Amino acid sequence: MLGSMLIVFGAFALIFLGVVGFDLIKAKANGTQYNMRTSFVAYGLLIPAVILGFIFVLLPIIYSLGYAFTDYDFFDPEGMTFVWFDQFKLIFEEFARKGDIFLSLINTLKFVVVVVPLQIGLALALALFVNNERKCVGLFKVCFFAPVAISLAVTSYLWKSIMSPSETGLMNLILGVFNIPPQSYIEDVNNAMYWIAILSAWQGCGYQMLIFLSGLSNVRKELYEAASLDGAGSFRQFLHITIPGLRSISVYVIITVFIGACRVMIQPYLMSGYYSHTMTLSLYMYTYGTRYHLVGYSSAVALLMTIVIGLITYLQRRFLTEKD
Amino acid sequence: MENSVVISDYEKMRRKQKTINAIKSTVYYVCGTILSLIFLFPLIYMFVTSGKSQGVFANDAGTFRMFLIDFSNLGMFATNYVRVLTEYDMYKYALNSIIYAVVAIVLNILVNGLAGYALSKFNFPGKSFFSFIILFLMVVPVETSIIPLYSIVVNTLGFKGDAAVFAVILPPAISIFNIFLFIQFFSGIPKEYEEAASLDGAGTMRIFFSMILPLSKPIIATVATFTFIGVWNDYLWPTLVLPPPNEWSWPLYPIQSALTTIQNITGVSEGEKMASLVITSIPIFAVYIAAQKYIVNGFGSAGLKL
Repeated sequence: MLGSMLIVFGAFALIFLGVVGFDLIKAKANGTQYNMRTSFVAYGLLIPAVILGFIFVLLPIIYSLGYAFTDYDFFDPEGMTFVWFDQFKLIFEEFARKGDIFLSLINTLKFVVVVVPLQIGLALALALFVNNERKCVGLFKVCFFAPVAISLAVTSYLWKSIMSPSETGLMNLILGVFNIPPQSYIEDVNNAMYWIAILSAWQGCGYQMLIFLSGLSNVRKELYEAASLDGAGSFRQFLHITIPGLRSISVYVIITVFIGACRVMIQPYLMSGYYSHTMTLSLYMYTYGTRYHLVGYSSAVALLMTIVIGLITYLQRRFLTEKD
Repeated sequence: MENSVVISDYEKMRRKQKTINAIKSTVYYVCGTILSLIFLFPLIYMFVTSGKSQGVFANDAGTFRMFLIDFSNLGMFATNYVRVLTEYDMYKYALNSIIYAVVAIVLNILVNGLAGYALSKFNFPGKSFFSFIILFLMVVPVETSIIPLYSIVVNTLGFKGDAAVFAVILPPAISIFNIFLFIQFFSGIPKEYEEAASLDGAGTMRIFFSMILPLSKPIIATVATFTFIGVWNDYLWPTLVLPPPNEWSWPLYPIQSALTTIQNITGVSEGEKMASLVITSIPIFAVYIAAQKYIVNGFGSAGLKL
């Protein structure tokens, strides 16, 4: 284990020395010189960040790539062997027989499909709602933003109590006002992920509201004045000025919310546990890594997830910005 | 005669406009209040329930008294909170969280501040290597590496048992994004300041600690605020690496992980559960209110990340 760490470190050190040599040669060619003393002081200042960054940021990324091609068992690090694509074969076999990973994918998709439009739509609506100079608007903003301050663990336990499947639960009481029959929420095999999406949108949308608000404040006021002189109503102003003005910030919001949604795990983990009707891809990966200690398999899932999410993000960015 | 007709017409129109505006305003505020209530009802329920005994909670269940404070027994608030803090050790967990957060903040500012200082103010061979790594790490999604990080921390570094606290305080000490923020901020400090200081014979460390850092209060406050929120609200990582609490020693869990412990205590009442959630949330609300300015700053920088 320590050996592989040193090998990776050595590789980076070699690349670094190469860059240093290149810089020195370039400086010589340009007739400039580096101050030796300042250079060494700078290296000294960088040492803590390099050590911590290497161990806790860079190494995990490199290892997660490497482990995916091994049969690394957490309790048997010495017995690790290189197995090429065997873990990926296992994943696809599991997927083909519609095992837990298939269900995790379906559950994650269910969640993403609901939470992304819901959270962004709510955030945009709220931002438009508070984007004026009336009195007490600040108070509304605080109310909408308050859930963001709450941690995911608190959110999960709080909503577990609100969405109690018993008939006397708070959510069932509220639904009863609208003549909706009592639900079993997180225990509902078909709809649990949708309920989690609703509470996640509640928790997160205040943050995107603030981002949209900063976007709205950048839309030039003269455009609205010019449009209303031309006789454009507020709906047409919204369509032709506000929406285009928010384009680039919307791309940012869509991508960040999408990535966050793909990684959902704490809410189903704390509210439901390891049941397959609320298993998500991240939770599946986490379970196999920490509960069953199959780090190799878990890393392969993580690698596939990273590739797919990265690809979709790339497509979103291209598709959404090309329209300009 | 003609004139007065015009005025009264004008007056009528103005009154009409005024009524329309009043109606619009009323509709606006009614909608705003309803929306606010939709967003606040879980928090109201959390607070109200935290002051109820199990009997009252069971009695109120299924009625709109769930949203009402139990005024007949206000002392129950104190009972629940004291019980959660002392008997369920919440004060110990809270103290742990504060210690982890403070250590992480200090380390974070030192480590990333020094790195940012070197990368913004010094010219040295190999600088482009670091710039490239920082750029690369800011683009790559890092969240999926929790399992390898776990194996590095436990199997390679051997942070097990009590030593696991290092696994909680060291990873938050490094933040590529904060290095980036520090580079941006330090680049804006005029070079003449340092030149004057170094002419007076101040060394690099002296310049950093007695000149650069005091000039960087806004960015330090932003970094400190976000580090605090991040460490305080983190659930998964500490729960994974730290040993669960036992009866015979001071627990190592931070407050978020302790929520799971408290939820699973046999015989814990709903009121006590909610009290533990309120206690966990109060410091974060306080930070959001106190450090509003720096949080908005941070949002501005988050936009830069794009």
